[in-house]
Amino acid sequence: MSTPAIHTEQSLITNEPYYEPVADEVAVFTAAYRNKLPVLLKGPTGCGKTRFVEYMAWRLERPMITVACHDDLTASDLIGRYLVRGGETVWVDGPLTSAVRNGSICYLDEVVEARKDTSVVIHPLCDDRRLLPIEKLGEVLAAPPEFCLVISYNPGYQSVLKDLKQSTRQRFVALEFNYPSVEVEQTIIEKESGIDTTGARQLVKFGHMTRNLKGSGLDEGASTRLLVNAAKLMHEGIAPVVATDTAVAQALTDDEDMLKAVHELSRSIF
Amino acid sequence: MSDESRQNFLNRLRIQKDLEKFTAGALARHGNVEDIVARIAALERRDQDFVYAWVELIARSNHELAAHFIGRVASAFDKMERSGVEDWVDQAMTTFDNRGLGFAIEALENVDEFAREYASRHVRCGFDDASGFLRHFVRGLGGRELRVISDQSTFTDTESLYLPDVVNLYPEPEQNFTVYKLTAVHLWAQTWYGTWRYQVVEQLIRQFDDEQPMAIFNRLECLRLEACIARDFPGLSREFRLYGSVGEAGDALWEEWRRRASRLAERDASAADSLALIEDFRELPLPPLRPFEGDMFAGRVRQALFARIEREKSAFQRAMQELRDKDDRGEGGGDDAQKQLVEVEMHDEAGAGGEDVNFQLTIDGEVTSIPEHMKDLMGSIMQDFGEIPDDHLEPLERGEYSDALLPQKGDVDGDDDPDFNDAGSFSYREWDCVRQRFREGFCTLRELSVPPGDEGFVAATLDKHRGLLKSIKRSFEAVLGESRLQRRQSDGDDIDLDALVEAFADVAQGREMSEYLYTRYRNQERNIAVMFMVDMSGSTLGWVNDAEREALVLLCEALEMLGDRYAIFGFSGRTNKRCEVYRIKDFDESYSSAVRQRISGIRPKAYTRMGVAIRHLGQLLQHTQARTKLLITLSDGRPEDYGGYKGKYGIEDTRHALLELKQGGIHSFCVTIDNEAQEYLPHMYGPANFAVIDEVEKLPYKVADIYRRLTT
Repeated sequence: MSTPAIHTEQSLITNEPYYEPVADEVAVFTAAYRNKLPVLLKGPTGCGKTRFVEYMAWRLERPMITVACHDDLTASDLIGRYLVRGGETVWVDGPLTSAVRNGSICYLDEVVEARKDTSVVIHPLCDDRRLLPIEKLGEVLAAPPEFCLVISYNPGYQSVLKDLKQSTRQRFVALEFNYPSVEVEQTIIEKESGIDTTGARQLVKFGHMTRNLKGSGLDEGASTRLLVNAAKLMHEGIAPVVATDTAVAQALTDDEDMLKAVHELSRSIF
Repeated sequence: MSDESRQNFLNRLRIQKDLEKFTAGALARHGNVEDIVARIAALERRDQDFVYAWVELIARSNHELAAHFIGRVASAFDKMERSGVEDWVDQAMTTFDNRGLGFAIEALENVDEFAREYASRHVRCGFDDASGFLRHFVRGLGGRELRVISDQSTFTDTESLYLPDVVNLYPEPEQNFTVYKLTAVHLWAQTWYGTWRYQVVEQLIRQFDDEQPMAIFNRLECLRLEACIARDFPGLSREFRLYGSVGEAGDALWEEWRRRASRLAERDASAADSLALIEDFRELPLPPLRPFEGDMFAGRVRQALFARIEREKSAFQRAMQELRDKDDRGEGGGDDAQKQLVEVEMHDEAGAGGEDVNFQLTIDGEVTSIPEHMKDLMGSIMQDFGEIPDDHLEPLERGEYSDALLPQKGDVDGDDDPDFNDAGSFSYREWDCVRQRFREGFCTLRELSVPPGDEGFVAATLDKHRGLLKSIKRSFEAVLGESRLQRRQSDGDDIDLDALVEAFADVAQGREMSEYLYTRYRNQERNIAVMFMVDMSGSTLGWVNDAEREALVLLCEALEMLGDRYAIFGFSGRTNKRCEVYRIKDFDESYSSAVRQRISGIRPKAYTRMGVAIRHLGQLLQHTQARTKLLITLSDGRPEDYGGYKGKYGIEDTRHALLELKQGGIHSFCVTIDNEAQEYLPHMYGPANFAVIDEVEKLPYKVADIYRRLTT
């Protein structure tokens, strides 16, 4: 049995992804999209950035391509390269080029991790020219109005060697993401995992307790994603304290005292 | 004889022979040798190996002692785990070394007593065992950051939790640990659920100044807090019930009190309600306190409370002023600005605690967002008052405000210190936030060297912290990282297939073939220079004592391993005319014995004028011409100097200096031991560029951490 490959043209999202709006981010994104402005999403991990882009892609009925950036990602990974196939050289589009050609939404996740030469590629796409020069083809692609570039990054504790330069960041409309409010977070956990209101409320309370510890030993408190994971385990019948230990505590830290503290905090509520 | 019993018999014979050999026959004199040997033969193999090893060891010192060991070791294993047995024989050997054979034999013979004491030591829960965990746990529960301190009495003063040195009431260590935890939770609950609200404390001290009312208040509050915890923390509540029995009579008394004080179990009950009930309980016998309940010292609370209220009120007013200033659209400022209507609304779902309270701040009807550090501050004020009192919302009086911004008194050149000479001094400007411009040449700074101290200090430190040093080095090793694969190199160990394929494609297209077709592993080249700026002021918290110097020594050892260029300078001074930096290690200096002597020679000096030190040390950092330049400040508090350099003025000048450095490409970071750093550090260094540590021993780890994040 072969695993189905996802062709980029077919990456249109047909089912509404669940997303709980926090403020007016939907309106802002839509306005930016209509004005052909690129968007920057800032915030800690697990706060809904990727889910938001999926939701917007569905809403705007455009296909979406996600690129997880890492420190070996070069410009040619994004733009494309020549491959040798059956004795012939064949050009293959990279995800960015593909997105430009199809008028998709291209989401570069954790863009500061990528190599520096990628920003050379991003810049002309982000000003009002919206051009993608492809050196090897001798082509310059003009992005259609449906194309949209979205990048994300986590501003906390950035390495000084990897930072978003002013010349890059000033081309974007920026939306800030953070942990949702108590009610919203509760709703998200309920809907994503199927557990009852009480359980969701207790998990949110637990999440807040871990966020109290940020800076005094934990780099980050529990993100919404981690709480949802714990909820899913609980829904399967795993005991709450075991669920929080495995889905949250062990994911957050390796320090013994801290692990014990998080464990006891969970025990205090459930 | 069956096969098995013959095997055992042979075993026992062999053991007896071995042991007699080791003890050169002394064992034979102990009578009942067969019994002893039988018991040893019955031990597990590992334990037998243990016995053998120790017998050999002891026998090297004394055969008689070894024989006594053999005689009692089986009993020891009966009563204790391996680690206990090891402790027992270890202790006996030490006694032998210090006090001779007789006492050592006695120690060995007292196996029973030792076992009992060992059990109690390992069953009990001590402050050292639990404090690390408790600090995190209490922090997680919520509210202001409380210190955890061991003390004779068990109580809280709302700044710290004072806990017993040890809890040893139960046979199992887990149980003792739980009671220890519950004790801390109970005290935390007092501060969280408003036992020590300002109004309550006032009334307590005014009206009820002797023992009996306090004792009644204590118990009533225990009941109220019991109900609060039952509502919010079902898990903890279960544990409180489990450990809350004080015998039949005691429990009955508690039940009686619970019944009479049912009002306190309601959601909106407060400490004031407990106060109101005191008179009703004067005639009743007092129920005994439960194992996790402690004392109350209203006087201590009052002290801490008043100090904190003052501090937080002015911090809050300063923060409000900043918000007002931001809001003020420059319409004539002055009196108009002071008439802004400020309202704080609270949405308090829980009724008693601070966590569910959402603040909404409106200035002249417009909702204003509240900065993070203010939220913590407001939470703390809430805990003390149950609300934000009106007088906190009043704008600072003209006089008070400008007091915080007093222009420098240092204009007066009254320094007739004969030691002071201008030669070799540097001149720096200072930022005056009141006038919004620089005071050129305002500061005079000299570079001094730290006089050498005792070099033995360094050797002693390295010896004392051998283990710690190893793990610190390991954390720094992680900074170095592994070698990375470099692609598209003109030369290397392997072929870069991607590059090769592209090159072929290029050739097929008629273009030139690239020569960058290889890969190789290379350690990432580091081109980093770090300046450590150590606050050497004489303030009470202070970096400069033994522990801090030790931390610096360990830090240097680890930095040497990294190979980055680094320098360490202290800074202090008195007024703008006598700013001083103290050279401990320069960039190009190697970590020589001279440097080591200087580290041990560090002594506290005077004040903390940070701006000028930052500007000067920033210059030194620029001269290194490294690609990445870091300034790490080790601080113990706010910038403060004689003559008006304090409050907002000091903070703004420091911030300006850091911004000047940033424009020059220098990244700054601050590590502090000041708990209140949240109030000013984010403003000076940026929200993600500082760290608070509570123990100086953690300094090298924290620096390793920072390093790793900033430079990989």
